[in-house]
Amino acid sequence: MNGPGAVPDDVRPDETKPDGIGLDDAAPESVPDSTDSLSWRRVHPVTPMVRGWAVLGGAIFIVGQQTLDGGPGEDRGLIGLLTSDFWWTVPLGLVLVALAGFGYAALAWRMTTFAVGEETVHLRRGILFKQQRHARLDRLQAVDVRQPLVARLFGLCELKLEVAGGSDSGVTIGYLRDADAAALRNELLARAAGLKGTPASTSGVVPPPDAGGAAPAPGGTPEGTTTSPADGPLLVEAPERPVLEVQPGRLIASLLRNGVSIGFALFTIGLIVTMIVTGRPQIVFTVIAPIIGIGGYLFNRFSTEFAFRVAISADGIRLRHGLLETRAQTIPPGRVQAVSLTQGLLWRGPDWWRVQVNVAGYGGDSNAETTNVLLPVGTRDEALTVLSLVLPDLGVEDPRAVLDDGLSGDSRRTGRFVGSPRSARWVDPVGWRRQGFAVTGRALLLRGGRLYRILNVVPHERTQSLRIASGPLQRRLGLTSFEVHSTPGPVSPQVSHLRAADAAALLGEQAARARTARAHAGPERWMEDGEHEH
Amino acid sequence: MTSPFDPHDVTWSRVSPRLTAARLIPASITFAVPVVAGVVLALTVGRWFWLLAGTAAVLWVWTALLVPRQVRAIGYAEREDDLLIRKGIMFVSLTVVPYGRMQYVDVEAGPLDRRLGLATVQLHTASPGTDAQIPGLRPQEAARLRDRLASRGEARLAGL
Repeated sequence: MNGPGAVPDDVRPDETKPDGIGLDDAAPESVPDSTDSLSWRRVHPVTPMVRGWAVLGGAIFIVGQQTLDGGPGEDRGLIGLLTSDFWWTVPLGLVLVALAGFGYAALAWRMTTFAVGEETVHLRRGILFKQQRHARLDRLQAVDVRQPLVARLFGLCELKLEVAGGSDSGVTIGYLRDADAAALRNELLARAAGLKGTPASTSGVVPPPDAGGAAPAPGGTPEGTTTSPADGPLLVEAPERPVLEVQPGRLIASLLRNGVSIGFALFTIGLIVTMIVTGRPQIVFTVIAPIIGIGGYLFNRFSTEFAFRVAISADGIRLRHGLLETRAQTIPPGRVQAVSLTQGLLWRGPDWWRVQVNVAGYGGDSNAETTNVLLPVGTRDEALTVLSLVLPDLGVEDPRAVLDDGLSGDSRRTGRFVGSPRSARWVDPVGWRRQGFAVTGRALLLRGGRLYRILNVVPHERTQSLRIASGPLQRRLGLTSFEVHSTPGPVSPQVSHLRAADAAALLGEQAARARTARAHAGPERWMEDGEHEH
Repeated sequence: MTSPFDPHDVTWSRVSPRLTAARLIPASITFAVPVVAGVVLALTVGRWFWLLAGTAAVLWVWTALLVPRQVRAIGYAEREDDLLIRKGIMFVSLTVVPYGRMQYVDVEAGPLDRRLGLATVQLHTASPGTDAQIPGLRPQEAARLRDRLASRGEARLAGL
């Protein structure tokens, strides 16, 4: 057993301190706590350099934007200032901003310490307003390792633990050296999984985690990627098996086959034609903002979904992606609350699908568009493979037939899906044949959308609450809409215009099924022996 | 065929009829302003302002007819494992919230609510979509419901 002295200090950035003590003088001591036995670590000392750039970049961006907003050819704004006698104020201002930015970042770095306890992660930060955050590891929803462009130059990355607590609820530890971050992630995942003894701190060398045999990676190869910080003991990463990779060519093609791109192209052609016909090229300045906006959206999609790789390990599904800023996400088993498979009209030819998920920790993120993606684009087979990673067992004999039915079938095909009655065509003339639900042993499948096809999958044990609703017209036609509430995210599972009796039966049965499934759900610590029986 | 919004094994608890007053008083103030303003302007400035006063008055009457029915339509029921909340006449909805999914319970009462002896209980799950609000409860009932929900939630606690 680990005593209180057996706290890990294996991923300590070696430059920060000569030995294990001497840190607490910097740590805020105003609030007494019981965490003194922990070994507090600092993040990498180059962190202020990385963070400071953001301030300078922001200042340059704001100044540049102000200049652009002033309009071209006008003798005001930054250009006017630069050409005047007071040109030196601009570099001086930037230097002052940079000093302030780097100074603040350095101070913030000095005040930031973190520690990993047996069951919690502790983070202390703040210059004026001190903050201590303790996040319980068994409530961990996902671990992301993020590497912005500037950090990549230094070989650093930032670790973010997601817990389910709304926006800004996670614990962000950054920046760390790549190897340290990987080791810390493995340690956190191992502890969250319930492998108590894995990251032994004092023994120096860690035997391969025996729980790797207790819960092997599905089809995993036995070779474990070992990462060893320069001064720390070995930490064995759960072996992972690559599942698929999105080729850049397909990503570009998928983005071109997008309503936004088509609209963008038509708009640009129209703009050029207008400029030629009217002979006034300055028209472009009146529409520069939407062009930048749409172009930015498309580039953002391309940049974040570039080189998208999916792998599976005992610690859950691993995603790696990004062009400028790379991100490696790990979503442990049982953390996916709902899955959606969607297909726009233009993706129907090559039969491409996009897979998105609701994960409790990601919900509050402002960039949920990019963090909640499990597969940006893939064939039907690939999409279903990815679905099977997060939901290995659907609980039916012929899952492929049911899923095919959900992806592209409609009510003319008899199958497991219960669809809308014919009277629904009065309220949903286009999509009524696609509306439908199917219940399997493990999940509820909701399909919909004739032009933009959607299949939502909600595991029974992840149902939060249920709702049926019916408006005056619907009631006259004997229809009722059904809705499953999931955690915040891009997936909002619902099916409209069911037969009233079907909806009522589904509501009652689904409540019971969700209850039963919850009672038999796997433990929060996914590698712990035995199941928690409630 | 029975309505899907009335499961046969459920007896609904109704909310206090005083909720009608709690909802009509603010609505009346909202509508009284344009009605009075419309009448004054119609008498002083021009006849067209009767339109404003008339529209506001019609909406006022409509609300006065609708709110009591809406209040009567609100019902809740505590079942063994979940709470049912039913709302609406024209747009009916029925929400099922399992106790084990509850993250926290809010009890709220504004100044008018307190004067009328009312309180609102709201359940929150991990989903922002859960609209589990029971308005118009007597304070004792609200406190009882809160404690009961909290204890049942604890007994059936199940993470996320």
